[in-house]
Amino acid sequence: MAGLTLNHLYKRYDNSGKKKKIKNDFAVKDLNLVCEQGEFVALLGPSGCGKTTTLRMIAGLEEITDGEIFIGDRLVNKLHPKDRNIGLAFEDYAMYPPLNVYGNVAFNMRAKGVPKEEIDRKVREIAPLMQIDDLLDKMPVKLSGGQKQRVNIARAIIREPELLLMDEPLSHLDGKARQAMRTEIKRLINKIKCTTVYVTHDQLEAMSLADKIAIINFGVLQQFGTPTEVYDDPANEFVASFIGEPPMNILETTIINKDGTFFFTFEDSNLQIAVPKRYYSVVSDGFRCKMGVRPMDVLIGGPDSQGTSEEIATFENLGDERRIGVRVGDVLMMLITEDEKRYKRGDVIKLEVREEKTHLFDIETGDRIREKN
Amino acid sequence: MARIQLENVKKAFGKVQALDGITIDVKDKEFFVLFGPAGAGKTTILNCIAGIAMPEEGVVKFGDEVMNLTDPAHRNVAMVFENYALYPQMTVYDNMASALRSKLYKASEEEIAERIKWAAKTMKMENLLERLPSQLSNGQKQRVAMGRALVRTPNVFLMDEPLAHLDAKLRNSMRTELKEMQANLGSTCIYVTHDFMEAMALGDRIAIINKGKIVQIGTGDEIYYMPCNEFTAQLMGEPQINIFEATVAATNDGFDAKINVCGEEITLALPKDDNVYSKIKEQGMVRCDIGIRPQNVKYSFEPKEGYFKSTVYSYESIGNKSVIVAECGDYQLRMIAPNGLNVEIDSDVYIKLEMDHIILFDFESKEYIVRYDEASFIALAASKEEE
Amino acid sequence: MKTGKQRALYVLQNFLLIVYAIFALFPLIWMVLITFKSDTEVFTTTFLFHPTLANYQEVLLRSNYARYILDSVIVSGGAVLVSVIVGVPAAYALARYNFPRKEELAFQILSYKFAPEILVVLPLFMIYQKIGLYDSYVGLIWVYQLISLPLLIWVVRGYFEDISVEIEYAAQVDGYSWYQIFFKMLVPLIKPGLVSSALLAFIFAWNSFTFPLILSSNKVYPVTVAIMKYLGTDSAHYGQLAVASTVSALPAVIFALCIQKHLVRGLSFGAVKG
Repeated sequence: MAGLTLNHLYKRYDNSGKKKKIKNDFAVKDLNLVCEQGEFVALLGPSGCGKTTTLRMIAGLEEITDGEIFIGDRLVNKLHPKDRNIGLAFEDYAMYPPLNVYGNVAFNMRAKGVPKEEIDRKVREIAPLMQIDDLLDKMPVKLSGGQKQRVNIARAIIREPELLLMDEPLSHLDGKARQAMRTEIKRLINKIKCTTVYVTHDQLEAMSLADKIAIINFGVLQQFGTPTEVYDDPANEFVASFIGEPPMNILETTIINKDGTFFFTFEDSNLQIAVPKRYYSVVSDGFRCKMGVRPMDVLIGGPDSQGTSEEIATFENLGDERRIGVRVGDVLMMLITEDEKRYKRGDVIKLEVREEKTHLFDIETGDRIREKN
Repeated sequence: MARIQLENVKKAFGKVQALDGITIDVKDKEFFVLFGPAGAGKTTILNCIAGIAMPEEGVVKFGDEVMNLTDPAHRNVAMVFENYALYPQMTVYDNMASALRSKLYKASEEEIAERIKWAAKTMKMENLLERLPSQLSNGQKQRVAMGRALVRTPNVFLMDEPLAHLDAKLRNSMRTELKEMQANLGSTCIYVTHDFMEAMALGDRIAIINKGKIVQIGTGDEIYYMPCNEFTAQLMGEPQINIFEATVAATNDGFDAKINVCGEEITLALPKDDNVYSKIKEQGMVRCDIGIRPQNVKYSFEPKEGYFKSTVYSYESIGNKSVIVAECGDYQLRMIAPNGLNVEIDSDVYIKLEMDHIILFDFESKEYIVRYDEASFIALAASKEEE
Repeated sequence: MKTGKQRALYVLQNFLLIVYAIFALFPLIWMVLITFKSDTEVFTTTFLFHPTLANYQEVLLRSNYARYILDSVIVSGGAVLVSVIVGVPAAYALARYNFPRKEELAFQILSYKFAPEILVVLPLFMIYQKIGLYDSYVGLIWVYQLISLPLLIWVVRGYFEDISVEIEYAAQVDGYSWYQIFFKMLVPLIKPGLVSSALLAFIFAWNSFTFPLILSSNKVYPVTVAIMKYLGTDSAHYGQLAVASTVSALPAVIFALCIQKHLVRGLSFGAVKG
């Protein structure tokens, strides 16, 4: 059974009151998504892409312009948020300051008139799970950011919701706390096996937490797949450059035919990369497109390498790894190496590219160009 | 352009001792990074150099000149503030021209225009000159703040976390650009950051600051490979270095380290390394802390010779690679793995530590004692110095 | 895409707003109407009357009304000017520097506005008479500081606090002296707050009645007090009274309309946002 189904979901904000007509006024446009029971799905995109709007529509906090939302088998379009059986852990979903942690976690059940012993049993059950057992008597103001988030999530899951919705729960935490909390969330969701929709703009968070990632831009779903799928097989240029850090190198290229072998060539550069054989059916001499390759798949060749000689524009020693930038035309092409050798600006290296790892994108639309079967 | 020296600088805010005897010597044209956790006093050091903060004790010298009593306007420094501090009522152009229009650093309008044109080109912001700061994104504001400093020819550039407010991706790409620009800067630069990648990538030398004191000064490689204590070791590297306790016991021809994994004692042979062995003998070492970087921890999901058993605490991607965290009782072990593995949480994992990459720390003081292959890393660090 | 229900709601909303507008504006409209009536017609409640400009002639041409207005301008303008000169540096100090009992001091300044004017005006009357400030411009301007200064300091302080101190540092590093920074960088940034609070202070000072009533008599005669004259000793000239009131209210109304947008924004928003 699917945990959550979004069917042709639209959201349009009513702009009639505003003087300025916004051209594309769909915040969410024809969104289709099926999350399996117990799956952890991340909605990922830059700010203003419509991911939070989608979440708010699922929660019932935002009206739906068109489409259907199913939680389990129930059509919830017309249901009030409190009747949708969902748990919310929002970034700004503040705690009630006059209540201690226990009171905050219990608040919802108290409001519903659940018997006292039942509430107490449940709170005691969930507290160790979220590691807030020692915090139950504390007041919200005394908690650290990470602790607040744990209480927040405890409050969301105590009702045993069918669906857990989280909106950037980690964005207020700083580096180390954020990483630690990420691990905790992952373990917790793994334990309670609740279908979860998680909104974030941080691709790393989505990559490390989610079973599946829905990448959204301008209200339109770009790709929906597992982290590995979106990383290795991006649907278009947007996904390719949004996922991964440093981002994929994407360069405009003209393909030339040299004695039956196709090569990527680049303006103002003598770099040439062989086109993988599988693309021969779609390319031709003089074909213009964009080529993408991840920095991990660009290598430094040995002394007898066939690669093109290139001058190093930037060399960054990051301790764990080293990043090298090479100018290809006016684009800085990055490569990552764990090789211990120290280079400096101006050194010449042989550049090799794992040809089979290159992707082709349409020069106009940015859509992926795939080989024909 | 000048050499910047601070000698035993102290500064307190009320009862808080923000700086507690800071001594640094920044060479002319050096890119010097001040690195440490939030609240360590890094910004206060910059403020003392700029003259915004007055140290209670100690000397601030530019070249041979003592600057303690010189006001900020007369020190001829260019500063990039963490919150950019752009003048909101002025266009980007006027912001950048501000210093060159002051009485002290006056330049003709033609010269100003020329300098701004150059700086705007360097920072790739030619199209922003007519805008107001409120119309800029954070990344653009950061460029403007840098550009405003670049138009000047100061004694020193002071940069206070200029990339901190950008999101991870923009930060990394800006760092790369800054690195490329650095060569053209040709000027002394003191750069504050709490991001170890920025520190490593940009700094000719790095000073680690904690609680108002200097912990270590050295090149990136020195600090990364030979951290002076566990605090420094933990600051450098992502994911963090693994540090755990061990007892050392002599064997027939060498030494063993015994560590505790989930209540079980595991014996690991310490490979032969004259330098390490002599340090162990010298100290009569019984207990120590072992530091090992995640890339030197190997894993297997099948039992294997020389591997010990543990359970997976978490498995998550950190970008182009992933981290497996294994539960070992009192501590956890982080190790690098490729993306896209099918790893069940709480399943078994078998671990091998590459003992010829470890760093030994003192059990009590947490100070650096010795590491394997020390000589070659000293040579590596020195090769950088020569440049 | 409006449904019938939404449209009905829309009509109802506007209807209620119109009712309220009539209710709120009626006394003012009535006053303006009275200015065109002769004394005999003042009490008619119909809108039918013989319009006359006699009241205007009487008040504006045949009495000292222009002088009263001038007095009001001098006293209120002077009060605001002094408040700006004193208040802006005070607000800066309160916003930027830490000194013992800072918040208490700030609160004390605000507390000037708490006491009812009538309570403080009697002792002030005695004191003023003794030291010769009674019935003088300086005396009134001084006492008006109770009205204008707290308002100005509190609004402008908020503006200074919203300007990050790094902007001042940046300007220092750029080679500017403190005075240059203050006038070139800070004053433009606090301008919205300064202008709106100064104008509001001006209006409050203009409308002040208790202080000038008791602390001045012949030499200084602000318009609010002067209006009383038209009540007369024998008969009340309501028409003239209405003219005097209407004209005296004009500056406040004009100011308020001109700066309406800035007034609300200036008092409720900080300077450096976004």
